[in-house]
Amino acid sequence: MTTGWKTIILMAMGLFLFSRILNGTLLFYINERFFWLSVLAAVGLILVGVSYRYRADHDHHEPDHAGYSHGRLSWAGLLLIASPIVLGLVIPPKPLGAAAMTNRDISLESLTSAAAPEGGIILSKPKTEKNILDWIVEFRQTSDPAALAGEEVKLVGFVYRDERFGEDSFMVSRFVVSCCAADAAPIGLVVHWPDSPTLADDQWVEVVGVLEPGEFEGEQLPLVKAASVTPTDVPNQPYLYPF
Amino acid sequence: MAPRPAIGFFRSKAALRVLLVILALAALVVIRDNELAGSLGSRAQTFVTIFLSIFIEAVPFLLAGSIVSGLLEVYVSNHTLYRFVPRHPAAAALVGGGLGLIFPVCECGVVPVTRRLYLKGLPISMGIAFMLAAPVINPIVLASTYAAFGWGPILYGRVILSFLIASMIGFLFHFADPADILRPDQLASSDHHHHHDHSHDHADAKGVNRFWKALSIGGDDFFDMGRYLIAGSMLAAAMQTLIPQPFLLALGAGSATSIFTMMMLAFVLSVCSTVDSFLALAFVNSFPPAAILAFLVFGPMVDIKSSLMFLGVFKRRVVLYLILLPLMATLMITVYLNLNVSW
Repeated sequence: MTTGWKTIILMAMGLFLFSRILNGTLLFYINERFFWLSVLAAVGLILVGVSYRYRADHDHHEPDHAGYSHGRLSWAGLLLIASPIVLGLVIPPKPLGAAAMTNRDISLESLTSAAAPEGGIILSKPKTEKNILDWIVEFRQTSDPAALAGEEVKLVGFVYRDERFGEDSFMVSRFVVSCCAADAAPIGLVVHWPDSPTLADDQWVEVVGVLEPGEFEGEQLPLVKAASVTPTDVPNQPYLYPF
Repeated sequence: MAPRPAIGFFRSKAALRVLLVILALAALVVIRDNELAGSLGSRAQTFVTIFLSIFIEAVPFLLAGSIVSGLLEVYVSNHTLYRFVPRHPAAAALVGGGLGLIFPVCECGVVPVTRRLYLKGLPISMGIAFMLAAPVINPIVLASTYAAFGWGPILYGRVILSFLIASMIGFLFHFADPADILRPDQLASSDHHHHHDHSHDHADAKGVNRFWKALSIGGDDFFDMGRYLIAGSMLAAAMQTLIPQPFLLALGAGSATSIFTMMMLAFVLSVCSTVDSFLALAFVNSFPPAAILAFLVFGPMVDIKSSLMFLGVFKRRVVLYLILLPLMATLMITVYLNLNVSW
């Protein structure tokens, strides 16, 4: 009976991974560059699940062995192993959002220091394609908010606010993920927009505007003066990658 | 044949307690959030996303480690293995520290492989040195560290410290009786006759069948180790959801506390060693190099998920040593570096 359960769980786990791969929600969890590892894992899980079928005929002498593996799974063990699949199916997939910010360091220090390697590639991107991370990296290279003044930006991110933001401003934010959502670091740019109060927290928006030198919490930073803020869907890649 | 030893951490009372604590933590996350937000809990949502992300990131490596273990069981006889084990204990520990160059596994994959090597009679010292060092001393991790930091003190500091600390701790365990170290079900059988029978039996299975056999043994390992990995991922996700990171980072100012903070962060984040150097880059501006080094040396040896996986191989008291010894060694060396070396 145990091997039956193991086969079922391995298959289910493989199929679960496949479903997340196919509908793209895998990127809610890991950096794009590890995508292929998950594909391999899904194939491997199903193969290992199949392998139990072929072992069945050899199984009669297994209990003799020192008893290290082939251990029967207790119900608690079974439940635990199945829990990623169960939780994944019960709770609809969603990328980290404003709620996860409350537990992370959102001081400006961390906003601007999040993994900023050399930006050679970034500088050559067309301006309207630069994302929040690109602009922050660029700002760090000059450290002069005035240098970027007047640059037109088009940014996609979710709305984040806390008590430090005034009526007419919010932060358009993304998470930067090196490995998986466990290491997500929030970044963002402060947006000035008169109609800010109409936006819901955690709403994904596209912000079009220009950068202007400004100040936030006593630090000199580029701020976004928004011409328009439009609600959008969660992008296919909710996180930004530092490398 | 001896009766099957009572296996399963998960049948003992302690296991039940650990499970209850984890469930209670998870429930707490949900309840706390429901009180605050009154909805299905964005905090619960965050917990699930982080939990699944750690699991999905780790599962290919755990599976790879388990399959390697299955292949070892079927294709490598105990005799073959024994020929490569140095007789001198110090040499064995040093070779164990470098074994990762042959088995490129990270900290999720290394535990099932170590477990299998112990069943095949590997000396305790060599296995522990291998288990602690391999997540760093292997081609993949060396390449990713190089990609993140280039050729410099962080790269060679990471290699040298990991190798030395792991081999040293491995050597220490040479003086202990294996029966005091390993869980009873992990002891290599001293009954050679029995073992001979068993490998003979594997040899009987031919060609493709043998391969399926290896895969299914790997599958058993996957289940044995997977529950620890999953419990560890849950715990790490719960801690990340409940403990504010600013709280951790605010601790890190002094020359010793900054190092301790980065080590705690490595423990809590439980990120795979193949990618942790990219993560460490994010802290380069706010922490001294010695603290970054501590993060990169300690994290791969010990973190929440790997220390839970240790429980599947070692006795509980030994697991405590396996957490504390690398912690103290890393702390002492990196604090010394922080105070005496200019980078």
